[in-house]
Amino acid sequence: MKKTILTFLTLTFTFISAQESQQLNSYQQQFLNLSKLESGLTIGGYGEVTYNNYDSGPSELDVQRLVVLFAYKFDDRVSFITEVEYEHVKEVYIEQAWLNYALTDNTNLRAGLLLVPMGIVNEYHEPTTFNGVERPTIDNKIVPTTWREIGMGISGRFNNLNMRYQAYIMNGPLSYDGVHKLKGTNGLRSGRQKGAESVGSDANLATRLDYYGILGLKVGLSYYTGKTQTIDTSLIGSQVGLNMFGLDARYVKNNFSARYQYINANLSDTKQYNSSSGKDLGSQMGGYYIEAAYNVLPIGARQRLDLFLRYEDLNQHKAVDGIKKNLAFHRKEWTFGASYHLSKGSVFKMDYQSKGTAINNSDAKGQFNMGVGIFF
Amino acid sequence: MKKATFLILVYFLINSSFAFSQINKKADKEIKKVFSIDNYQMERAINQNFEDFLSKRLLSIISNNQKIGYAYLGTAPSQTKYFDYIVIFDDNLTIQSIKILVYREDYGGEIGSKRWLSQFKGKGLIERFKYRKNIAAISGATISVNSITDAVNDILSYLTSLKTQGVI
Repeated sequence: MKKTILTFLTLTFTFISAQESQQLNSYQQQFLNLSKLESGLTIGGYGEVTYNNYDSGPSELDVQRLVVLFAYKFDDRVSFITEVEYEHVKEVYIEQAWLNYALTDNTNLRAGLLLVPMGIVNEYHEPTTFNGVERPTIDNKIVPTTWREIGMGISGRFNNLNMRYQAYIMNGPLSYDGVHKLKGTNGLRSGRQKGAESVGSDANLATRLDYYGILGLKVGLSYYTGKTQTIDTSLIGSQVGLNMFGLDARYVKNNFSARYQYINANLSDTKQYNSSSGKDLGSQMGGYYIEAAYNVLPIGARQRLDLFLRYEDLNQHKAVDGIKKNLAFHRKEWTFGASYHLSKGSVFKMDYQSKGTAINNSDAKGQFNMGVGIFF
Repeated sequence: MKKATFLILVYFLINSSFAFSQINKKADKEIKKVFSIDNYQMERAINQNFEDFLSKRLLSIISNNQKIGYAYLGTAPSQTKYFDYIVIFDDNLTIQSIKILVYREDYGGEIGSKRWLSQFKGKGLIERFKYRKNIAAISGATISVNSITDAVNDILSYLTSLKTQGVI
């Protein structure tokens, strides 16, 4: 055994010294110069300031979020990325903080505070990347964006297959810390731990595949499985099982663009959870949205003006176990408006939303929104 | 088991110290593939009097004492970092292949897609590429898509001017 290792190491060092003593021709020298370029710190950021004018009641004006992004490259293979976020001016969060180690061209090891790769907006949540002042409702009520927890795993791409993959072992949403956290109206949202002194009782798995081998089209498949976290695993009704599946597609052709997202989540043991907490968590939740947009400015112009229309249908009580379905949790929403991209990285948005529910004869609520977004 | 783990670790440690030779190897492989050759030499395409930055990146590919094409080694920005690429031309200055040699961040890495890069193939000096017109968009990779598209346009303009001056 020792001999094998010794032989191996000897061969290796011979290989290294052979490499180093090799004379560099101009072409190799160029490459050397290239890989010497850029290392160190990069600063970026994004943010959005929004105005919501509701049919009834006072309006809300909010610096929703302002995020500073720092990326530090230690060398060609090791980098660290973090986003420091101010929400509503006064709350500070860390949105991402992970170390990336590029093992090979196709494989990265990644560990730290990671985004859960579920759906479109959780990963691509910068305001210039989506239409509408507010994120799609499904990306708030079903996928609790910006959903992030501490974990580690692998990610990478296969250029020949036009595919990207991600697989992480992560901490999950918190269901019980003395108080029951999850409820019907916003599903997992109140259980987000965001990496802040988070409770870990059960490891969860988050995976995603992206395929972009057809020009203009990108299709994603996400799968998340595990359990919610509790401070007392022996306490019946303090955690639920979670299986979430997502399918999404984005298409861009000349002035036209469109996106679609479908999410379905099955939750087990909600009967025990609800009866011991008095909550109304559904045993199945999900929905979809579909959106089309058209840029009315000529291609190649400095600016872009996308007019868009989106329809969402989502339900936090798609199925229930031991409780009565709340029809108000079945939402049907229309959004139409404009995203005026003043430059690459800055956008002025305006839209109108009509938010209805499955309750018979209920009136849809209207809402007018405006906002500015930046991303650099 | 322990032995296997150790060997794997050693392998990765060694592997990770060769970022540079990897770039070299990948460019080499692509050139051999494009021209279906096993041996070739490279030299600067323009004489040393041209000391501008771009000229150092343009190399002639020579096989059997004959110039068979050109390679341009470029660097362009992605969202927070830079990536390295190679554009390979035949002797008539028609694009034969573009390959991303090193991409240093996650976002925008889709531009390495073989299918997407094949849009540039077969195009000559008179061609100009326009995002969302004759170059397809990739959702989530807009910055890098624009970056490589602009870079290729710049290279084509540069080569056109060299050709008009009779330098290449």
